[in-house]
Amino acid sequence: MTWNRESVHKELIKVFGQHKQSEVDVSETSEIVGDLGIDSLGVMEVLAEIEDTFKLTIPDDALRDINTIGDVATSILTRLESDGRLEG
Amino acid sequence: MSAPSPRTVAQAIEDAAASSSTGYRFLEESPDVAPYHSYADVERMSARYGGAMQAMGLRKGDRVALILPDNADFVFAFLGAVRAGIIPVPIYPPTGLGKLSGYLENTLHIVAKSGARVLLTSSEIKKILGTIQAEAPGLEKVVGVEGVRTANDKLRPEKIDLDDVCFLQFTSGSTARPKGVTLTHRNLAANVHAIMPVGLSIQDGVDHGVSWLPLYHDMGLIGFVIAPVYHRNSITFLPPLLFLKRPARWLESISKYKGTISFGPNFAYALAVKRIKESEMEGLDLSSWRIAGCGAEPIRADNLRAFAEKFSRIGFDERAFVCCYGMAESTLAVSFSKIWTGVRADIVDGETLWSKGRAEPVAEGTPRAAGIVECGAAFEGHEIKTFAPDDEESVRPLPEREVGELRIRGPSVMQGYWNDPDVTKRSFAGGFLRTGDLGYIAEGKVYICGRSKEVVIVNGRNYYPQDIEWEASQVEGVRKGNVIAFGTMKGPSDRERVVIAFETSEKDEAGKKRLEADVRKAVQQSVGLTVDDVLPLAPGVLPKTSSGKLQRAKTRELYESGELLGRTSAREVDKLDLVKEIAKSQIGYFRHRLFGKSDD
Repeated sequence: MTWNRESVHKELIKVFGQHKQSEVDVSETSEIVGDLGIDSLGVMEVLAEIEDTFKLTIPDDALRDINTIGDVATSILTRLESDGRLEG
Repeated sequence: MSAPSPRTVAQAIEDAAASSSTGYRFLEESPDVAPYHSYADVERMSARYGGAMQAMGLRKGDRVALILPDNADFVFAFLGAVRAGIIPVPIYPPTGLGKLSGYLENTLHIVAKSGARVLLTSSEIKKILGTIQAEAPGLEKVVGVEGVRTANDKLRPEKIDLDDVCFLQFTSGSTARPKGVTLTHRNLAANVHAIMPVGLSIQDGVDHGVSWLPLYHDMGLIGFVIAPVYHRNSITFLPPLLFLKRPARWLESISKYKGTISFGPNFAYALAVKRIKESEMEGLDLSSWRIAGCGAEPIRADNLRAFAEKFSRIGFDERAFVCCYGMAESTLAVSFSKIWTGVRADIVDGETLWSKGRAEPVAEGTPRAAGIVECGAAFEGHEIKTFAPDDEESVRPLPEREVGELRIRGPSVMQGYWNDPDVTKRSFAGGFLRTGDLGYIAEGKVYICGRSKEVVIVNGRNYYPQDIEWEASQVEGVRKGNVIAFGTMKGPSDRERVVIAFETSEKDEAGKKRLEADVRKAVQQSVGLTVDDVLPLAPGVLPKTSSGKLQRAKTRELYESGELLGRTSAREVDKLDLVKEIAKSQIGYFRHRLFGKSDD
C-alpha cells in the first residue's frame, strides 16, 4: 500500500485522537506528552499501532527526536519514502 | 539451606566461565537477531570492557557512570567495571519525547553525587548530553562505547574483597536529591543466596530466565544479570522498550526458550492482559514457566488473577505467581511468598484495619472483608519487624497483626547512601532500616498495607510529589510554595491517578481554565507522566500544619472525600500529629486499592 502526505497526516491525527488523555484538539503541532498527556507506556502502544498500519519499524533511537505529532509524521514519511511507498 | 562461603561478583564471573552451555542471549527488535554469549564468552567480553576502562585511567574505587541503552553493552561494561574494582553507577537512558531538560538535570545530579570520573555511553546519547561534562565537577570525560567494543586492552587483575563496594544504585529520591544505595559484594552474595536457592529453589545451570526489565533498575540488574552469574543460569534479555511496544514478545520468548523464571511489576501483567491479542497467543506454550515474580509496586490480586485467566489456555499455571517485597536498600529482595502456592491473601476486617490499624481475620465474603496479599517471611539470617513510626530506636516491636512501619535488618541491607551521612542516619532506627512502608506481620509472614513515603508509583516507576510541585510552581499565576501533588486510586482508572492542587489569586473562570492547562502541560512535559486532575483553588484553602508545612496526606483525604473543592474558608490549622495523620491517610488510601472500588 502506498501513502501520501495527506493520508499519513490524517491517519496520525486519528490514532493520537483515540489515545489522548486530555480534552484538547489534536493537530500537527500537538506535543504528545505535554499536550495530549500520553505517557511513555501510551506512546509505545500508539507506536505499535502506527507500525502495524504503515508496515514499518520505528527504532528506539528515533524516539529521541520525537516531541510532536509532526515529528512522528516526518519519521514515517522518511521511512515510507526510502521504501518507495510515498506518492507525490 | 546453609549458606556457602560468600563469593564476590568478580569471583562468580570467573567461576561461571567454566560453563559453555549456559549464558546470556540478547534479543533485539528484529526477531532474526538473537546473539548468544556463553559465560565463558561473558568472562572474555567483560575483561575487554574492564580493561578498556582501566586504560581510560580508572582505578579501583573510582566511579564510572553507565548510560548504555544496548543490553549487551550494559552487561559487559557493568561486569567489566566490577572485575576491575571500578564502581559502576547505572543511569537510565533518555527516552526522548520532549523531556530532555528534566533528564539532563537528573543525570547531572547523579553524576555529581557519585563523583564519577568517566561517563560511558553511546555516541548517539553523547551528542545530547551536551553540557553535563562542564557542569559536573570531577567528570573528566564522556566516552562513546563503540570504541570499547573492539578494544584490545587486557584486564589487569585487581584484588576484590567482599567488603569492597560493588556498585551504586541511585534510587528513591526527588530529582534534586538523588540517593545512591551503596552495595558491597557481601550484600550481593547474601541477597543472591536468599533469592536463588533459598527463595526460588533455583537449579544451578538448569533454570532459564527471561527478562525485559531495565538493567539500570535493581530487579533487572541484580535479579537477571548478577544472580544468574552466581548460579550459571541462562538468561534471555529483551529490550525494555520492545516489551512496552510489543508485550507479546515477552511471552513469545518464554515459550520459545522454555523460560522457567520471569519477573515484572504489577503493571506488566496488567499490560499483557490489556494488549496481547488472541491471535498473538496462537502456538505459544507457557507450561515451562514455574516462577512468575511480581514486585516493585503494590500488587493487585485482581490483575494477577486476570492474567492467569487469560493465559491458562496456553499453559500458564497460576501457582507460578510469587509475590515479592523488596527495595534497593535491601540489595533487591526482602521476602518472597512460597513458590508454587500462587497469590495468597489474608482476609481481614477492613474497618478495623483502617480505623484501628489492626488486622483482624474474618471469613471470606464477610461484609467489609479485605484481602491483603501475602509476601512471605524474612529470609534466613534476616529480620522483618514492625514498629510505631515514632519508635526511633526500634525498641518495642509491635505484636503480630498490628500495623506499623516495616523495618529490616540483615546482611542484605546496605551500609548507607553514598556520600550522604545525614540521610543515611535518618534511614536507620536502632540498627534497623526504616523501609517507609506500612504493614503487619502474621504468622511470620509480611503483609504490606501502604507507604509512609509520599511517592506516586505509575507503571512501576516512582515519581516524587516535590518534583511535580516544583514544575507546577514555575507556571505564572500559581502561588509559589502553595502547590500539592499526590496520587490517588480513587477515580475511573486502573492505575494510580495524579492530582495537582494549587492556590491562585486568579478569580476569573476562563483564567483558571487557562492556568489548569498551563500547569498540566508544564508537568506532563517535564516529568513525563499523565496528569489526571488539576485543581486551581483560592488562597488559603490547602491544608497546612501549625508550622506552615503543606499537608499532602490531608489534601488527598479531603480530595477523596470530595471536601477539597468545597473549602473556601480561611486555612484550617490541623493540629493532628503529622506521623499519625500520614499513617491514617495512607491506610485509607490503600483501601481504594484493595477493594478496587472507585466510587466509595
